[in-house]
Amino acid sequence: MLISKMKINIGQIACVAAAIFALTACGESEPQTSGAPPDMRRLTSEQYRNVIHDVFGEHVEIASRFDPLVRTDGLFAVGASKAIITPSGFEKFYNIARSVARQAVDKDNRAVLIPCAPADALRANEACSRQFFTEVGRHLYRRPLTESEMETAVSAANEVADQLNDFYSGIEFGLTGLLVTPSFLFIIDETEPDSSSLSGLRLTGHAKASRLSFLLWNSAPDDMLLEAAETGALHTDNGIERQVERMVRSPFLARGVRAFFEDFLDLEKFENLEKDTTIYPAYTINTAESAKEQMLRTIVDHTVNQDAPYPEIFTTRKTFIDSHLGRVYRVPVARPDGGWEPYEFPEDDVRAGILTQMGFLSLFSHPGRSSATLRGKAVRELLLCQKVPDPPGDIDFSLFNDPNAPSRTARDRLTAHATVPSCAGCHKLTDPIGLGFEQFDGIGQFRVAEQGAIIDVAGDLDGNQFADAKSLAQAMHDSPSVPACLTNQLYSYAAGRAPERDEREFVRYLEDGFSDSGYSLKSLLRDIATSDAFYAVSEPKRVDDGVVRAASFNDKTKQELGS
Amino acid sequence: MRARQDQMKIDFLPVLAVTVGFLTSAGMSVVAADAPENRTLGFVVQGWMPSVYETKFIDECPAGLNISNDEIWWRTLSKAERSEKTQDGLITTLDRWFLAKSRGPKGEDVCINPEVIKDDPPLLTVEGATSFGVNLDGNTDGSATPKTCTHENFISPVGVPGVDNQLYRLIGCIYGFRDQGVIEINANEMRRTSGLAMILIEVTDVDDAKNDDDVTVTFYRSIDQFPLDSSGQVIPHSSYRVDYKGGGPRYGDSLKGSIVDGVLQAGSGDVRLPYYGNYNYMHPVIRDMQIKLEISDDGTNSQGTVAGYYDLEQYLYLTGGLGPVISTGNFSCPAFFDAAKRMADGYPDPDTGECTHISSAFEINAFAAFVVHPDQSSNMETAER
Repeated sequence: MLISKMKINIGQIACVAAAIFALTACGESEPQTSGAPPDMRRLTSEQYRNVIHDVFGEHVEIASRFDPLVRTDGLFAVGASKAIITPSGFEKFYNIARSVARQAVDKDNRAVLIPCAPADALRANEACSRQFFTEVGRHLYRRPLTESEMETAVSAANEVADQLNDFYSGIEFGLTGLLVTPSFLFIIDETEPDSSSLSGLRLTGHAKASRLSFLLWNSAPDDMLLEAAETGALHTDNGIERQVERMVRSPFLARGVRAFFEDFLDLEKFENLEKDTTIYPAYTINTAESAKEQMLRTIVDHTVNQDAPYPEIFTTRKTFIDSHLGRVYRVPVARPDGGWEPYEFPEDDVRAGILTQMGFLSLFSHPGRSSATLRGKAVRELLLCQKVPDPPGDIDFSLFNDPNAPSRTARDRLTAHATVPSCAGCHKLTDPIGLGFEQFDGIGQFRVAEQGAIIDVAGDLDGNQFADAKSLAQAMHDSPSVPACLTNQLYSYAAGRAPERDEREFVRYLEDGFSDSGYSLKSLLRDIATSDAFYAVSEPKRVDDGVVRAASFNDKTKQELGS
Repeated sequence: MRARQDQMKIDFLPVLAVTVGFLTSAGMSVVAADAPENRTLGFVVQGWMPSVYETKFIDECPAGLNISNDEIWWRTLSKAERSEKTQDGLITTLDRWFLAKSRGPKGEDVCINPEVIKDDPPLLTVEGATSFGVNLDGNTDGSATPKTCTHENFISPVGVPGVDNQLYRLIGCIYGFRDQGVIEINANEMRRTSGLAMILIEVTDVDDAKNDDDVTVTFYRSIDQFPLDSSGQVIPHSSYRVDYKGGGPRYGDSLKGSIVDGVLQAGSGDVRLPYYGNYNYMHPVIRDMQIKLEISDDGTNSQGTVAGYYDLEQYLYLTGGLGPVISTGNFSCPAFFDAAKRMADGYPDPDTGECTHISSAFEINAFAAFVVHPDQSSNMETAER
């Protein structure tokens, strides 16, 4: 059963009149799906940090950068299931692991992080090592260590402790080893037999806990969730629902939602965003960081704290600003020395929603000017899930970049695109939308004219006319493609893959639920997290020689592989 | 197989958005800059320089520019003394400023105790007829009034007579105070980078930012520093909190004024301002102060003039404590002190009859700013989330 809303449940009353509401009739069943083969996804850098900080504390520094994931099907979360670790990538992970382990055992931290103290710190201590690796390993691997894994860690720790006459150096070495294994670096779909499932397999309780935790909290399962996995509770509907409800109500949900929207909106682009500061002196690295943070705070506050309808993120006037953004938006801030504060744009302001915030506007612009095409493309691809083809390789850009051309506004310049047949097809998709944002320059500062010419921002979104950016935002709010796109991408993010063919009905089922809930993101997350589809696994892929190609790494499989 | 139970939309009740902008709901008042429909304009002063009229060939100083404290001191030393005092030339001009200042008969610092020296060459002062500035005393012949001493007037560069700017007469032939002279450039730079003594100008009761015949101009000190862009320039439209103490602003004198075709004019009245520059921090009072500020079309910046009677004692305190920059400022402190007393033309002391203030004019430039006043409780919530 899906989680009931905590509001007055008119639905139960409405069940009596089910015939009137046929489309959203009570008791609509989740379409059956066969799932996908078990897989493994590399931790993202944020997930890695969250796990380390949850286990060892926020003070542990992780200074290095990870090898980037490849964005696949519009999400890094999907790319994570295609990720490999190169030798240089492994070296980075190893160096980070050494650093984390060193910090964990240093004099300032060992009393807190190591649950026991050896009688003689100059010698190995098997009992204490076991105790430490049992506790830490369970959280790092998201399951108890197997006996062979424990044996590996403990004997490595003992050997080093004996050689260096230092118990803690041994722990450091053993911990480093844990942090560079696939069991830590990858979220692995471990399976076990299940005669009741279509494939004869199901995810283990721990694998379910991992999926749930990385979706909702973007980190490893906590003790309560691991316990639910270990008691078998996660193999029951009630057990799943209890955990989901607990996790959705937790403040950590904000972390999970932030991670999703960072991926969904491709906010990682901020790391490489460059602007011409002679044109935009108000743009600094701090401003860029604030712009990204503003988008995420707005979205999280709206969808998590307020539990307000998702489409309203395009129309809400409520947001947060700091001193850096105050200068760009030309609004006052109460604490110029730093800190975030809630802010509401006046009703007659030109801005409303995340698409008129500096983050979106600057991210999808050029270093020295705005870009209607980039902004329109971002709307199409990220928010409406509509692919815009890449430009052909033989475009003559001199036509558009001629500094002596008589055109003064972007609309004038882009008219040329509309007249070239090889350009018009795609630009018709992007430019009518993007031109609606042209009153905002390359970093989102408002203007009414460009090179002395008044900027015309009227356009249409798939036949829905708009007069300016605010009415464009309203058109986005009203577009059925917006919640449909979010639903599809959120499920892809959760599953780490695009929906399988036989999951299309299920995704529509999710869309219906999303709509019925008033587009509550929390409700959609609940629906996904408590669905059968989210945990369904099909048979692993095999090739003719019978070797398992995409396998789960439980003990049985390792035996088969001879490892 | 899971079934959905309560998929009905139940929110038939309207959801009211009751949030008001944080700054007003928390009892805080924040004023916005540069929007014509707003009731208040705000500016933060970045540059403050004395108005010094200069001709191409320094005609205003027919006897030339003044020699420095160091030069005067150097001329009194024998070769042996020069060697001894500078460690045989190792201590150069820029570094021996403290030695040069301490040339009183008993080793006194002559900039702090200028009256111990009586025989320095007199300060060369401006002899030209033209100056920037304003007619502060209302007459054009320089005759004494109840508030002023007899003095010579200037004519403005555009031919307006009766300009009162004795400060220019005093400092106009001193290299350090002229264009590219280090004294005021250094002071401005110190203010820009330290954030000390930042002056906020708040213009309230504004009905029309281009034309309004009745506005109020108030001067505050900011406790926030200039935010600078990547090239070190001040970023406009930033917010600055007013310095409050004991429930009220530490500064806050006001002038009545008007805006005509985008030019703000206000005054006159007595205004106390914060000042920091060249290692000196003080609170000068400029009496009968007037301000004229030309605001750019987009409201982002402004430039103009501040004129009034500067408290002489405070000005001498400032010039007496210039620190190392006096080495290239090029003037004799005792001569300066003596000349300043003679040049003073405002607010005669009732006992001595000597004027205690000096007419002055300054060029200022200011950027659009938001002037932020805290609520009276002094608890400012930032609502970190």
